[in-house]
Amino acid sequence: MSNLIIAMIRYELLITMRAAYSWVTPLLFFIIVVCLFPLAIGPDIDLLNKIAPGIIWVAALLAIVISINQLFSQDREEGYLDELLLSSYPLTLLISCKLISHWIAHGFPLIIISPCLGFILNLSTHQEYALVMTLLIGTPTLVLLGAIGSALTVGIRHHGLLLPILIMPLYIPVLIFAIGAMTAASVNQPIVGYLAILGALFLITLAFSPLLTSISLRIGVNQC
Amino acid sequence: MNFIMHNISFQREDRWLFKNLNSELMPGQCLQVQGANGSGKSTLLRILAGLIELQQGEVIRQQPLHYIGHQNGIKLNLTVAENLALQAALFNSSTCLLPVIHHIGLSPLQDTVAGNLSAGQKRRLSFAKLLLSKKPLWILDEPTTSLDKSGQDYFIHLLNEHLANQGMAVIATHHPLFIDEERNRCLTL
Repeated sequence: MSNLIIAMIRYELLITMRAAYSWVTPLLFFIIVVCLFPLAIGPDIDLLNKIAPGIIWVAALLAIVISINQLFSQDREEGYLDELLLSSYPLTLLISCKLISHWIAHGFPLIIISPCLGFILNLSTHQEYALVMTLLIGTPTLVLLGAIGSALTVGIRHHGLLLPILIMPLYIPVLIFAIGAMTAASVNQPIVGYLAILGALFLITLAFSPLLTSISLRIGVNQC
Repeated sequence: MNFIMHNISFQREDRWLFKNLNSELMPGQCLQVQGANGSGKSTLLRILAGLIELQQGEVIRQQPLHYIGHQNGIKLNLTVAENLALQAALFNSSTCLLPVIHHIGLSPLQDTVAGNLSAGQKRRLSFAKLLLSKKPLWILDEPTTSLDKSGQDYFIHLLNEHLANQGMAVIATHHPLFIDEERNRCLTL
């Protein structure tokens, strides 16, 4: 089984790397959206610092939504989804492998680039730390929640904005506690409590998302 | 174990695609499903594979099975060799990959990305899983589409070998495949 997990993650990452647009597009979107705000608001450093957490987090959230759209659509077009559904391994395991590689390819680059964007928006060191930590715990939760919506819409052609409408309400708790941590960091208060809640949200979604995604996927493929 | 479909019916948007289909296959037999475009061949095959939920009737079959649909089930961004390695991992197969690549006739192309193969070569690549892991039931949707004459002969050879080893196959096709009379069953939609 460990062979399968390593092979799945390796080849999923290889596929994403070869289709560079699939991971570069959300990353560039994230960078451009954040960079547009200082241009639009003007050189008011205090104001920028105040709204920076919201800007970065909403941009990261939208970048994840863009990327999650591709999670199963390509597999369905290639007929590879049928292979996964008919495999003798549990579908939840195969989906978990896909989600891990999806986060590495689409979530992790956002975290790497976020300190630079925090610098543009005049974040302090403590805020930068809070930003990286909240993204590190928060983005896997966003990917896990997005997977359920992505699986549900897999059988619908040209679903357009249906997926964001389905999953964005689910992102609200993560957003609230991530912004809470960032706000606490801006007044030099401890952020451990917020991170703990984000961690709890991650563990809850980790427990349910692969199972719900596999059920949704069977329903979605049934409509094909 | 035999493969049995009993009184299968399927309705899509108030229209019956097919009603009360019955058939039975013994090991070593092949069922050729024929019918006009839109008669529900592909839907029937997806139902038999368990990819579409059964609305009415009953299917008794042995799991696991191999299913090849209109799409080939291969990753277009991986090379031929990588596709095989991924499928071998998915089917928990310890079969050596090089002989399989040679067998399907893609040895010179093993480092070519699958997306750059021709339609017939992609089809050949999709047959690799039939060799990677032996499963008693094959469900194949138009397997000879886009294959040249030698490709079609190769598929018939594969199929006959499978049937000779007491395998079973359900195949949707527009052009009847030439299989031994006693192994062949037909179903027209």
